[in-house]
Amino acid sequence: MRLYALAVYLFLYIPIGVIVLFSFNAGRHASDLRGFSTQWYGKALANPIVMDSLTTSFTVALASAVMASLFGTMAALALQQVKGRMRVFYDAMIYVSIMIPGIVIGIATLIALVTVFEVVNPFLASIWPTGPEAAPKLNMGLGSLIAAHTLFTMSLVIVIVRARIAGMDRALIEASTDLYATPWRTFWQVTLPQIFPAILAGFLLSFTFSFDDFIIAFFVAGSQTTLPIYVFSSIRRGVTPEINAIGTMVLAVSLTLLITAQFMLRKREKPTRR
Amino acid sequence: MSKDYKDNLPISREEFIAQLRRYQKGSITRRHFLGVTGLGMASAVMAGAVPGLRPRKAWSAGDIGDRVVLATWPNYHDPANFEKFTEMTGAYVQVNVFGSNEEMLAKLQAGGSGWDVFVPTNYTITTYVGEDLIEPLDLSKLSNYDAAAFDPRFSDAGTVNGTLYAVPKNWGTTGYVINTAHSGGMTPTTWKEFWDMTKAEFSGRTMVHDYQLTTIGNALKYFGYSFNSVDPKELADAEKLLLDVKPHLYAINSDYQPPLRNGDAWMSMCWTGDGKQLNNDMPEMRYVLGREGGEIWSDYYAVPRGAEHRAAGYALIDFLLDPAVNAKEVLAHGYPVADSRTNALLPKELLEDPILYPAQELLDALEFGAAATLTDPNRAELLARFKSA
Amino acid sequence: MKGTWINRALLAPATLWLLGMLVLPLIVVIVFSFGERGAAGGYVPAFTLAQYANLPARLTAFKNTLIMAPLGTLAALVVAYPLAYYLAVRVSPRWRTLLLILVIVPFWTSILIRTYAWIFILGGRGLPLLLDMVGIADVRLMNTSFAVLVGIVYGYLPLMVFPIYVSLEKLDKRLLEASSDLGALPFATFRQVTLPLSLPGVATGCMLVFILLMGEFLIPALLGGGKVFFVGNALVDLFLQSRNWAYGSAVAATLVVIMLITVSLYMRLAMRRAGQRDDVSLF
Repeated sequence: MRLYALAVYLFLYIPIGVIVLFSFNAGRHASDLRGFSTQWYGKALANPIVMDSLTTSFTVALASAVMASLFGTMAALALQQVKGRMRVFYDAMIYVSIMIPGIVIGIATLIALVTVFEVVNPFLASIWPTGPEAAPKLNMGLGSLIAAHTLFTMSLVIVIVRARIAGMDRALIEASTDLYATPWRTFWQVTLPQIFPAILAGFLLSFTFSFDDFIIAFFVAGSQTTLPIYVFSSIRRGVTPEINAIGTMVLAVSLTLLITAQFMLRKREKPTRR
Repeated sequence: MSKDYKDNLPISREEFIAQLRRYQKGSITRRHFLGVTGLGMASAVMAGAVPGLRPRKAWSAGDIGDRVVLATWPNYHDPANFEKFTEMTGAYVQVNVFGSNEEMLAKLQAGGSGWDVFVPTNYTITTYVGEDLIEPLDLSKLSNYDAAAFDPRFSDAGTVNGTLYAVPKNWGTTGYVINTAHSGGMTPTTWKEFWDMTKAEFSGRTMVHDYQLTTIGNALKYFGYSFNSVDPKELADAEKLLLDVKPHLYAINSDYQPPLRNGDAWMSMCWTGDGKQLNNDMPEMRYVLGREGGEIWSDYYAVPRGAEHRAAGYALIDFLLDPAVNAKEVLAHGYPVADSRTNALLPKELLEDPILYPAQELLDALEFGAAATLTDPNRAELLARFKSA
Repeated sequence: MKGTWINRALLAPATLWLLGMLVLPLIVVIVFSFGERGAAGGYVPAFTLAQYANLPARLTAFKNTLIMAPLGTLAALVVAYPLAYYLAVRVSPRWRTLLLILVIVPFWTSILIRTYAWIFILGGRGLPLLLDMVGIADVRLMNTSFAVLVGIVYGYLPLMVFPIYVSLEKLDKRLLEASSDLGALPFATFRQVTLPLSLPGVATGCMLVFILLMGEFLIPALLGGGKVFFVGNALVDLFLQSRNWAYGSAVAATLVVIMLITVSLYMRLAMRRAGQRDDVSLF
């Protein structure tokens, strides 16, 4: 069993090893090993477009994962009480939003939003108190990117959290209520701890999805460039080891964050350990 | 004009390039660069031709906003130039990189692109004008554009119905690259050989572009038809050839450098710059322009309709048209320019390179892409059938 | 009904999102699918069934997708299940979080970069070269369905591992002990205790992977070399290359309908087997 797990981890990390290896390539082309060099790290870090797209990707992923976890958990809890036709409606919408391929949601969202903006922008300009020049102009960009990612990831969180609620020990909630705990207290002390792993899983999945998404972003990002958009367009006319250097750096940062978090969690947990 | 300009330079060409490289690396200042190369003096004299070398009122920080959004092709600029632009104007250059003209058109048609400047290829410009997606250029804001300095072959597509919509950036050709180590040293010279070898000894080793224009165009060349044909019968012949060839292809993909370099693919349709880069690193890689013809292209700078940072967009185009800046661009990406002022600043070996500047009789056979290919639904459907077959 | 207003407030953001970002764009797609392509591409309002009549032109893409998506899902499940089981049941809690997070760490670098790494591994200087050294010559892996399958398993592993892990994690270890104390063989314990408990997770994981595969575009584009063609690839081409939005909308609508049918059939089946129709009902 352990051997099998090891094999799967190898499968997961060999491509990562390849990325890291090629990032130190001295040559101009990623596939063509020509000695060792760290020049591509310097080049990637000095490239404002790369840094800008990294920032955009991170902002969008964080914002949409936070919103998705929050709104998704809220909805999952509320949906327990919803029955009948409304329940069917919500279930259908949630599953359809997960089911629609990214390409469809990307193009549909783009066209729908552009149409809406074409109506809203002149209206805003006409009613703006300080004159039409000062009126805000809605446009495709960070907002539409976050909104589009949140649709899919929110539904993902709802499904995951609901699966957890379904398997939850109801007796505990009943016991809590029997002991005259307020619903709020029951939620904080009984329900939340039980569904927390699901929320966390949902958050991580949402973040990963958003950070990785290319196809939705490609349509709704407006003039913004996310990391996948940058990488995709670079790939189309030849990858330099710069791309691998970026991948390695992103990985190094997430690993560092992770190890730090793990370390701190363990420190905090120790006194309460049974 | 370029020759006189060249002769007037107070330093040798080699010295100039050396200084330019130092300037690029940032080891000397712009003032020093302009001083030693004499460009400062030249620019003072030729105020009309290169005024961008001096700071201008319209460019002072804040006037043109804090950013400009440029939609362009990958590896097609010198990032140092963008930094310089930001330094001079306060406007940060946000670059969006694209893979095909069709994609650019699709994004503009859908709306909400947010671009201020983009880089369309010659054959797409009339469509942009017809769809009202592009603005006529205000020449008073482009003081570095000197129509007389440009080879008209590479600049005339920018003018539609007498109105200037786009100014030239770079030009190049589309041929194919072959690894002659696998052909016994033989270098083919025609598209017919390209397709026939793919079906025979190069089976499983050839790549074609993922674009209707070049893949269908070069299949049409097999039969001697026009690269731009939209004739149903001729397209049917091309389709038959493509479907015949498909099982023998290594891939239908425009990212051909890696498989060519690692030996998985031996031959591929190819653009000038890639051909040059491959040949530099592996001399056995030969860049071939089919004798029957094929594509010659020219890219332009244009302003999409409703650009949000219009002033910054103009400032950026004007900056990039500055011959000194443009020369740095060419040294970074390696595609030829049609601007004689810029060519005067480039090293001789670059200007005599047979891949970048093919022999006249090969150039004569080439065709510029036609607007009809971009919008013709039959060509698009043909490529889709070819890919899904 | 006490607490109804709380419920409404809790549901409000989700409702807003579903209506604005799903229902509205969906209506757009449906309206477009009855329209026509503009002369230079794009969309022209019309009412015609021509786009739907033209669907057979993408039959190959639909066929490829409907074969590869279930195959990819199955492959991902086979690889992911033992790992999720290992993480949930066998690993000490000390290491569990770390190992779990290690499953998704690779996924924090772009899927594009990771998939690109497979091009090196499956390309001529990677695995085929190693195989050549041990005497298996002339193996071509790149730009085949096999390469696409490897990319799929690699790309979607965490989506499969996580839901299965979540449902196994709440498995009471004492149940397993009781089962073996009562003399049940490990396999019987697995079949009668572990497997039924993990089914909701398996169902969720398979559903997620299957759904994403049905709209997959990147993996076939990069590892299939343009020769393995999914509906997702056809859609990208229709919107970005030929810009036939009306036809693209019809293909998209058809894809969504096919997915709705297959997924709901599949979920019904999975839920009946899990005997939990009440808890995780779909429609």
